[in-house]
Amino acid sequence: MLDILREIQLPIVALVLLLGAIAKLTDPAVRGLANLLPPRLHRPSTLVHGGIEAVLAVALLVLVGYPGDIARAWAALLFAGGVAALFGLRRRDPEMGCGCFGGLSTAPIGWRTITRAALFAGAAAAALGLETSGLGVLGDFTTWHGAAVAIEVVLLAALSPELKEFALSLYHRDSCDVREVPLRRTLSRLWTSDVWHLNTAMVVGREPVDVWRQGCWRFLRYPGRRGERPVDIVFGVPIDGRHSVVRAAITDVETGARLAILGEVAADIRRFRPREGVGAGAAGVSTVRAYRSESV
Amino acid sequence: MPVDVEARRRLTAALLGAEAALPPDQLTDRAARGRLIGVSEQTLHLATPAGEESFPFTGTTSFWRGGDAAPNELHPGDDVVLRYAADGSRVAEQVWAQMARVTGVISSSHEETVQVDIGHDRPSATVVIPYRVSGRMRVRHPVLEPGYLFDAIGVWRDGEVHAVLPATTQPPYSVRQAPRRPLAYERRSQVSGMVSWYDPALGHATDVNPLARLVGAAYPALDSASDCGDGCERRQSCLPLPLMSLGTTFSLRNDYTGDTAVLPIVACGAASAHFCDRCAAGAPGERGRLAQLTLLSFVGLGGTPTAGCFNATMRVG
Repeated sequence: MLDILREIQLPIVALVLLLGAIAKLTDPAVRGLANLLPPRLHRPSTLVHGGIEAVLAVALLVLVGYPGDIARAWAALLFAGGVAALFGLRRRDPEMGCGCFGGLSTAPIGWRTITRAALFAGAAAAALGLETSGLGVLGDFTTWHGAAVAIEVVLLAALSPELKEFALSLYHRDSCDVREVPLRRTLSRLWTSDVWHLNTAMVVGREPVDVWRQGCWRFLRYPGRRGERPVDIVFGVPIDGRHSVVRAAITDVETGARLAILGEVAADIRRFRPREGVGAGAAGVSTVRAYRSESV
Repeated sequence: MPVDVEARRRLTAALLGAEAALPPDQLTDRAARGRLIGVSEQTLHLATPAGEESFPFTGTTSFWRGGDAAPNELHPGDDVVLRYAADGSRVAEQVWAQMARVTGVISSSHEETVQVDIGHDRPSATVVIPYRVSGRMRVRHPVLEPGYLFDAIGVWRDGEVHAVLPATTQPPYSVRQAPRRPLAYERRSQVSGMVSWYDPALGHATDVNPLARLVGAAYPALDSASDCGDGCERRQSCLPLPLMSLGTTFSLRNDYTGDTAVLPIVACGAASAHFCDRCAAGAPGERGRLAQLTLLSFVGLGGTPTAGCFNATMRVG
């Protein structure tokens, strides 16, 4: 059983090195350990680091005997050096990610990341003296190998903050109140909304005279005329546009009084929440109708 | 084009309700600022836009002018900011004269002088680091080279800022090397962090300069599509700050004293987005800076300018 545990380290460490190499060679951002070096060495050091990892990954998979042991020893040294560097990086900036797997490794370096690097160093060292290579292990793969791999994968998953980041990036977007959204996307959302089309007769011009943001809302102010009276028409466009509705309020320029407020006639009418002073009570449709009857 | 912040707040309230755009507090009942006319028996006489105003002080009132000082060490013409006693009277509890602060990214340095970029919307600032404080400064600002952060409390002398003490510990890398911060995935109703202060009037003519009494905050997460505008080099803050605009108001609570006020955003605070530090004053709080309050707002909310910061919690309507 001990030999099986030692043998599976070869393909596992090789895979980890390969993933790390791909992340470092394809991600142009400066991350993790490279930040310990002068700026001019950031990109070169990242490329060299990724290149060494790729070479070692291939060596662990194909080399046997004395050359294979040399590759395993280098892999162990690489991870052991990584442990020391992670400690240094954490001391220098506790908020910095390790960059071990490129953009996925942005969580602050914690004990899990350091333990994982130490585990890999031990795993590579444990494979010293084996007669086979990583590909040889895969060729003679047994059920016992599979069980050992499964246990180690669970252990590594528990030690990998990247999995949570990966899941978050896959299933969640960043919060709407911190999300950068181009103005043209907001305008596009506005111009395709029912609220905009209901108000075009009153709005003077297509470009807003003022634009501002408050968390998950972007506001656009347009001058307008309601009969003979000058009015301000402000549209509130939700940044999280999937479910929320565009809103508009019409106020008198001279008195500042709110004359009307309405929301987009959404597909799901239950999502519409009329504001006080609108006139009609419960349904968004009646709000829009009430407004139409005043303005047309 | 100047921003009509009143219209923004009015229209925001019209659309989302009054609680979304709370009217800002003035803080005039908590702090005052003006130019010193003179100090008589237990009374400070300041020139303010309202004319000459008198502020009594007691034997326990503390004075600062580049260091602890006696009342008679203040000079006529000094820029003075004071906080009233907590009992609500107009008795001065703490008095600071000629306060200055420089926060930003070092753009050049030469011998005792450091040039600091304090934000894309403000002129760069020059700081003199006198020999007697250079050791204290070097401990927490070991690299006075372009690209490194700088934050120091100082005192105005002959139109120049003379550093007195560091306001933070400089990170050991330049702003170009600073790590990218992870994004926030969850929306929070409130954000905690530290607030610092700045002086929009730069100590000039504080008896008539309306900027001297400006209440509000320079905010490091202005919407780039509206107010941050051209030349904005705002980087991602290490706090999940909601994007906002000039005129937006938010409620801010001093976590140490419990003082709370509604403050408007009055300027871009891009420089403070570079800082991912903790406030050393009081109990440890979150890393990162919520905002740079104007000097009067900072004092009015219970902050001590010489400490440079306090931990606070921000809530947006």
